[in-house]
Amino acid sequence: MTAAQPATGHDHVVVAADVNGVSVTEPVPTRWTLAQFLRDRLGLTGTKVSCELQVCGACSVLVDGAPVSACTYLAADIDGRRVQTVEGLAARDQLHPLQRSFVEHFALQCGFCTPGFLMMAKALLDRNPDPTEDEVKEYLDGNICRCTGYEPIVAAVLDAAKRMRGQA
Amino acid sequence: MVLPPFALHRPTTTAQALSLLAEDSVPYSGGTELLLAMRMGLIRPTALVDLKRIPEMQEIRTDRSRLLIGAGVSHDRLATDPLVEQHARLLAAAEREVGNARVRAQGSIGGNICFGEPRSDVATVLIALEAELGLANSAGERSVPAEEFFLGPYWTARDATELLTAISIPLPCAEGVYLKFQTVERPTVAVAAVRRPGGDYRVVVGAVGEVPVWADYPGVGEVDPVDLVGRTSPVSDLTGSERYKRHVTEVYIRRAAELLAESER
Amino acid sequence: MSVERRRVAGQAVQRRDLFEKVTGAATYTVDVTPPGCLHAKVVRSSRAHARILGIETSAALAVPGVIAVVTASDLAALFPRFGHIIPDHAILAMEKVRYYGEPVALVVAENIVAASDGAEAVQVRYEDLPAAMDAEAALAPDAPILHDDDYGASGDESFSEMAATPGLPDHGDSPPRTNVAHTVDLSWGDVDAALAQAHIVVENRVHYPMLYAYAMEPYNAVASFTEDSLHVVSSAQHPFMVRTDLARIFSLPLSRVRVQVPYLGGGYGSKSYTKIEPLAAVGAWVVRQPVKLVLDVEEAIYTTRADSAAITVRSGFDAEGRILARAFDIVLDSGAYADNSPLVLAKAVNRCFGPYRVPNLRVRGRSVYTNTSPASSYRGFGAPQGALAGETNLDRAAAQLGIDPVEIRRRNLVPPGGEILPGKRGIDADLPADLELVAESLQRDARTVPGHGIGVACTASDAGAYPISTAIVRVQTDGSVTVLSGSTEMGQGSRSVLAQLVAEELGVPIEAVDVVQSDTAMSSYERTTGASRTTTLVGLAVQRACADARAKLTEMAAEIEQCPPESLAQGDGVLESADGRKLAFGDIISRWFGGDAGEVTGVGTLRRDGRTQKMPPFWEVGMVGVEVGIDPETGVVRVDQLVTVADVGFAFNPKAVEGQDLGAATQGLGGALFEELVYDGPQLVNPNMVEYRVPRMTDLADKIESIVVERGDGVGPYGAKGGGEGALNPMGAAVANAVAMATGKWPSRLPLTPERVWRLVNDLPEVDAE
Ligand SMILES: Cc1cc2nc3c(=O)[nH]c(=O)nc-3n(C[C@H](O)[C@H](O)[C@H](O)COP(=O)(O)OP(=O)(O)OC[C@H]3O[C@@H](n4cnc5c(N)ncnc54)[C@H](O)[C@@H]3O)c2cc1C
Ligand code: FES
Ligand code: FES
Repeated sequence: MTAAQPATGHDHVVVAADVNGVSVTEPVPTRWTLAQFLRDRLGLTGTKVSCELQVCGACSVLVDGAPVSACTYLAADIDGRRVQTVEGLAARDQLHPLQRSFVEHFALQCGFCTPGFLMMAKALLDRNPDPTEDEVKEYLDGNICRCTGYEPIVAAVLDAAKRMRGQA
Repeated sequence: MVLPPFALHRPTTTAQALSLLAEDSVPYSGGTELLLAMRMGLIRPTALVDLKRIPEMQEIRTDRSRLLIGAGVSHDRLATDPLVEQHARLLAAAEREVGNARVRAQGSIGGNICFGEPRSDVATVLIALEAELGLANSAGERSVPAEEFFLGPYWTARDATELLTAISIPLPCAEGVYLKFQTVERPTVAVAAVRRPGGDYRVVVGAVGEVPVWADYPGVGEVDPVDLVGRTSPVSDLTGSERYKRHVTEVYIRRAAELLAESER
Repeated sequence: MSVERRRVAGQAVQRRDLFEKVTGAATYTVDVTPPGCLHAKVVRSSRAHARILGIETSAALAVPGVIAVVTASDLAALFPRFGHIIPDHAILAMEKVRYYGEPVALVVAENIVAASDGAEAVQVRYEDLPAAMDAEAALAPDAPILHDDDYGASGDESFSEMAATPGLPDHGDSPPRTNVAHTVDLSWGDVDAALAQAHIVVENRVHYPMLYAYAMEPYNAVASFTEDSLHVVSSAQHPFMVRTDLARIFSLPLSRVRVQVPYLGGGYGSKSYTKIEPLAAVGAWVVRQPVKLVLDVEEAIYTTRADSAAITVRSGFDAEGRILARAFDIVLDSGAYADNSPLVLAKAVNRCFGPYRVPNLRVRGRSVYTNTSPASSYRGFGAPQGALAGETNLDRAAAQLGIDPVEIRRRNLVPPGGEILPGKRGIDADLPADLELVAESLQRDARTVPGHGIGVACTASDAGAYPISTAIVRVQTDGSVTVLSGSTEMGQGSRSVLAQLVAEELGVPIEAVDVVQSDTAMSSYERTTGASRTTTLVGLAVQRACADARAKLTEMAAEIEQCPPESLAQGDGVLESADGRKLAFGDIISRWFGGDAGEVTGVGTLRRDGRTQKMPPFWEVGMVGVEVGIDPETGVVRVDQLVTVADVGFAFNPKAVEGQDLGAATQGLGGALFEELVYDGPQLVNPNMVEYRVPRMTDLADKIESIVVERGDGVGPYGAKGGGEGALNPMGAAVANAVAMATGKWPSRLPLTPERVWRLVNDLPEVDAE
C-alpha cells in the first residue's frame, strides 16, 4: 500500500525507508516503535532504550536529519524517509570524528548512553558547525549520562566540531 | 513497554482526516504526548489519524495582518523560522526552550495545545499574543480565541471530531518577556509579560494552575503580582507545594514585569 | 611521595572497549537473543501488603502467542527463594505480596507484545493486609509484620568479616518477630562519661533520601536449559554470586550453572547480587526453551533501590574542637526483602563517624523491613547516609566553637597509618594533605558574596570487600596473552586496566593482550565486582598470575637451553640467556612443546593472607568541596565549584580515574540536590525518569577540578588502591554544609530541592500543616 490510499486503517503497514543508506521494505505492526523495528527487526541493536519517556536520549536517531526518540516514535512513520543510527555513523573502517573524539576524551564509560549522544551531537553539528560550549550543553541537555558527569562529553563534541570544520 | 494495538490512518487532506475522526479515532501528530499516554494506558484509541501527511498543516505564512501557523508545525521550526522570528519573537523564544531537542523536532504546536496539558509554554504565550485557533469539523470551521480554548487540565474547547487546523496571530504582535521556573521536564510556572499593540500591558501566568490566567494593565508599573497569584489554582505535587508555587509565581511575575519595564527604558 | 611512571601502566591509554561502544557494536544483555528465544513479562503486585487469594491465568493463556504463565505454585520442586545473606526473597510471591511491584507471575510468550498482552490479562485476587510504608511505621509496637519466618541466614562467612561486629539473627530461641531485618552495634570507650565532660555537645538528626541508581540499562536476563545445565546471560555485577543462588534454586552443581555477563550499561552497585536471573531461569525451566526477560525503568525501580536512612548523631568536643565522643543511631528503610541491606547497614555503621580520632564511640544500627521496593547496594554503601549525619554534625560544632570547617577537620583527621577501626588496617592515605588540596582549590576561586557558601566533607570507607580473587594468564605461541578474570566490565574500564597491568608485567605490547571477563564457565573465579576492588585485588591476582607464567617460562627455557634457571634474566616479553640472546616467550613455548603449539598458563590467587590479611584491603577516600550559590527568593541551588580528590595510590589510567571521580561526584550531586523516590500510599509517585530527576548537562558546575593524588600507598599493584565511589560518599554532606554556610540555617534532609531551601531560609516547617 502507499500513502495515496489513505482512508483505511491498518494494524500493519508496509514501511519503505532508507536506513543507513540501505533501502528496507518491511511490513510492521502499527504498534511497533522505531526502536523495536531497528533492534528486533533489522538487528541494529546499537540504538538503546532506557527511560521510554523521551527524556534520556539513549534511543536518539535521526529521521530525515531531525533527531527523534525512537522509543516513542512509530516505526510506521519512517515510511518514505531516511533514518540514521549509530551504526551508520562510521564510514566503513573510518570512525566519524565524533566517535574518535568520544574515545579520545573518555566521553563514555559504560557506553549505554553513547549512541544517543553521538546522534544528537551529529544533529547539532549538522545545523551548527561551530557551537559554543553553552549551545552544546543546551542541545544535549535532553540526554542523560549516568557515568561520566558530562564534562568529557562537552569537550568531545567541541573538539569534534573543530576537527570537522578543519576538514571542511 | 509495548503500545496497545490500534489501526493507523494516513490521510493527505484535512477533509479526509475529518471524515476519519470519531470518539476513539483520534488525531495523531508527533505522538510525543499521545503515544506516552497510550503506553501508560491512560487512553486507548482504536485508531490514530496521522496528520503529518497533510501539507497545509505544515505551513507557516503571513496573510495580511496575521501570522498563520499550521497545527502540525514542529516546535523546532517555530524556534528557527525567519517569519516567526520576525513577527512573533516571543513565540520563537519560548519555543526554543520547549522540552528537549527531540521533543521540539517531533512535537507539534497543535498537539501541544490540543492535549490541554496545563504545564505548556505554548498556551501561555499564545494567550499573551491573543492568538485565534482555527477549528474544523466535517460541517464547517470556527475560530476560538486562545483565551477561551483552555477549559481545564487535559480539557479544551475542541470537540472530539474537530481538528485544530491553524493558529493565527494578529500582527503587529505583542512584544515582551517570557520567563519560566522549571525543575523537571515541563515548566512549573510560566509568565509572559507583554506590551500589546494598543500600548497597554498583559501578563499571562501559565503552567502553575489548571488553566492559564491573565490580566491587562494600563502601565507596567501597575502589574499586581499578588492579585494575579490569587487567581491561579496551583496544586501541590513533586515540583512544589501549593504554598511554594504561589510564592514562586509571585516572584516570577514581579521579575517578568521588572524585565519588561527595563527593556522599555 | 610520588610514584614511578611506567611503560604502560599509568598512561592514558585509549580504552579498547570504547571503540566497540561508539560504533554500536558492543553487546549488552539486552542485545542478546538466542535462536528460539521466548519473551517474558512479569505480572506485578498492585498492593503493598496483601494475601494472594487466587491467580486467574486462563485469559492470559488464551492470548495468541502466550505459552505459559508461571506462578509460585509451579516452583514446588525448587528452592523458591534467593538472598545471599538472608534467603528471604521469593522468586514469585508465595501466599502474600510484600510490596507494590513484587513479581506475582511470569508470562512467557513467543514475542514481547504477546507477553505484555498476556501479563495484562492475568487476574490476581488479593486480601489487603495492613502495610508498614516506612521505617517508623514498621518499628511501631503494633506494626504489621512482613516476614513470619527467619529463613536462616546464609552461610556466607565473609559477611561477618566485613561487619565490625556482626549481629546475625540468633536462631537459638524464637524471640517475638519484629520488622528488624538486621542489627549492627559498634562501640568502644565510655561515651556517656566523655559526653558529660565535653565542652560542647552537638546533636542533630538527618534524613537521607530513598535513591535509585539509574543504571541506564535496566535489569535484563536471558536463561536457557540444555540437558541439565543452566545458562544465564545477565546484567549482573557478580556472576559468581548469582551462580550460587541459581544452583541452590535448581539443586544443580555449580559447574552446571553458567552465568555470563556481557557489557553492562552501568551498575554503580545496583546490579550486585541476584536480581531477575531466577525469574528468567524458572521461565526457561518451565517451558524448556530460552527465555528473555527485559525490565523497563519502572520495573527496575521496583526491583532495587537504595536504603534511605534516618540518623541521629550526638558528639562531644573539647574547646579546641577535638572530638571526645560520638554516638549514632541509624535506621535504614530496607524495603520488603533484606537483599544486601544488612551489609549496607554494617558499612553505614563503620563509616558514619568519619576518618577521625574518635576516642569513645557508640553506634546502633537497624535495618528495617517495610512494604516498599527492596533496597540493596548502591555506590557508597551506607557511607553517604552516615556522612550526612557525621559531617554536618562536625560543621555545626565548628560553627558553635567559632572554628573554620576545614580547621576542625585538620584537628581531628587520622594521620597516615592511623587507626579508624580498632584492629583493622590503618588508613593507607594522607587525609590531612588531601584536605589541604581541596581547601586551596576552593579558596582560590571562592566568591565571598551573600548567598554563596563553601562546604567540605570527608569520608574513608572500609572498601574492597572480601579479598578472594583468581586470575589466569595464558601466554600464546606468538607471545600474545589471554587474561581470564571473573570481574565485570561495567563501564569503569577494568578490562583496559587489567590489559595494561599484564602488558606491564610481561613486557608485551598492550595490543597483544586480550581480557576475557565475567563468565563463570570461561573466566576464572571472582567473588564480586564492587567496592572499587577490581584494580587492586584482581590486579594483585593478575600480577601473581603473570609471575607464575614467567616462572613456568623460565623453567621451560632452562630445560630447552639446558642452563640453570637463575642464569636467565627477565626482560620485556623475553628471557635473556647468559650469552645475551633474547628468548621470546612464544618461541620458548613452541620449542618446549615441539611444533608451533601449546601455551603457558599462569595462575594467580588472592585470599586473606600476607598483605591482604588485614581488613579492609584498603580504605577508599572521599574528599570533596563545593561552592554553591543560592537564589534566596526561589531556593534554587547552583553549584559554582566542584572539587574532588581521587586518592588512588597509583592511577593506572589517570583520565579514566578522573572520569570515574567526576561521575561519582555527579551522582552525589544528584542525591544532594534532586533525586528522591517518594511514596504516597502503597506505590511510588515518581517511578520514572521524568519525575525522578537526575543531573543533566546544564547542571554542570562552572568549575570542576578533579585532583588525582598518587602516593603509592595502596596494597594493589604499584601502590594502587580503589577509586570510583569516593567522591560520591561525602557529596551530600558537603552540599548541605555549603547550603548551611550560604543561608545560615542547617539543613537536615536531602535532596535540597528549591522548596526545601526556601523553607529553610524562611524558617518555615518542612511541610505545611493540613
Ligand atoms: C520530555 C518532554 C518534555 C516536554 N517539555 C515541554 C515543555 O517544556 N513545554 C511544553 O509546552 N511542552 C512540553 N512537552 C510537551 C510537548 O510540547 C508536546 O508533547 C508536543 O508539542 C505535542 O505535540 P505532538 O505533535 O507530539 O502531539 P501528539 O502527541 O501527536 O498529540 C497530542 C494530543 O493532541 C491531539 N492533537 C494533535 N494534533 C491535533 C490537531 N491538529 N487537532 C486536534 N487534535 C490534535 C492528539 O489527539 C492528542 O490528544 C514535553 C513533552 C515531553 C515528552
Ligand atoms: S529511551 Fe527514548 S528517550 Fe529515553
Ligand atoms: S557512559 Fe554510562 S551512561 Fe553514559
